Amino acid sequence: MAEFECRLKKYRQLKELTQEQLAAQVGVRRETIMRLEKAQYNPSLKLAVDISRAVEAPIEEIFIFE
Amino acid sequence: MKKKTKIIIGMGILCILLNIVSTWYATVFNNSRLVVPMDFKSYTFQIKDLPMILSVLLTCTYIFALFLVLFTSISKQRKQIEKTNTTRKLNPKLGFLGIFGFLGFAGFWTYTTNGTIFPFTFFLFFGFFGFFYEGKMSGTFMDERFRENAAYAQLKSYKITFPIILIALVILCQGKLFGNLEYTLIATIIVLSLTLALGIFLPEYLLYHYDHDDQIDNSEE
Repeated sequence: MAEFECRLKKYRQLKELTQEQLAAQVGVRRETIMRLEKAQYNPSLKLAVDISRAVEAPIEEIFIFE
Repeated sequence: MKKKTKIIIGMGILCILLNIVSTWYATVFNNSRLVVPMDFKSYTFQIKDLPMILSVLLTCTYIFALFLVLFTSISKQRKQIEKTNTTRKLNPKLGFLGIFGFLGFAGFWTYTTNGTIFPFTFFLFFGFFGFFYEGKMSGTFMDERFRENAAYAQLKSYKITFPIILIALVILCQGKLFGNLEYTLIATIIVLSLTLALGIFLPEYLLYHYDHDDQIDNSEE
């Protein structure tokens, strides 16, 4: 399986959003955001797109598969 | 306690009391008619049978109403879950119902005393220990990760319980255990009850752990 890297934390902090706020915006639990930031959860395409829109960053910049 | 719950419990107690009184009446004043087994082919109605008939009818109606209330509340709860997208509200203390699973051991005693094997099915109640974990997760918002974990937990429990049933089937279909077919039947009931209990318990237990494990750093960074 491809190595998964997530730079969500960086972009979330740039937008000055808390995990809770981002979770509410994209319709998931805070724990899910936390897991995503630790690259412990592989999101669905819809969630990835929603997050990308919420933090206003390109999807391929946030989620990196090597 | 809700008014509706109070009414249901009250009606249940009333039914039990009516049954006790009508049984006492039939035993003392009606030669135990409709209490001891009797031949209904030659049955003729007597006015003294009325208390027993009425109490049994009332109890049947009560049980029917109880099922109706149960089904409507389940469908209401499902609609609520769909609407709010959260898990159902459940008290973790319901997990203590699992203790009734130990009643299954009574089967060994009843079998040796009068050959009754029904109590072995009580092992099924061990599955209700799962309510403890379900209760802990009650009211949780079901996002995509939660649903994924729930599906994975369910799949894993199937993967564990199906082989158990398969192995038990292969062994038990050989026939007499220790030269006695009754032992085979008992073993079948025990294995089925315990496996079903495991199938009820495991998804809740696994889901709880998938959702809570390795959340060592839960802080907002």
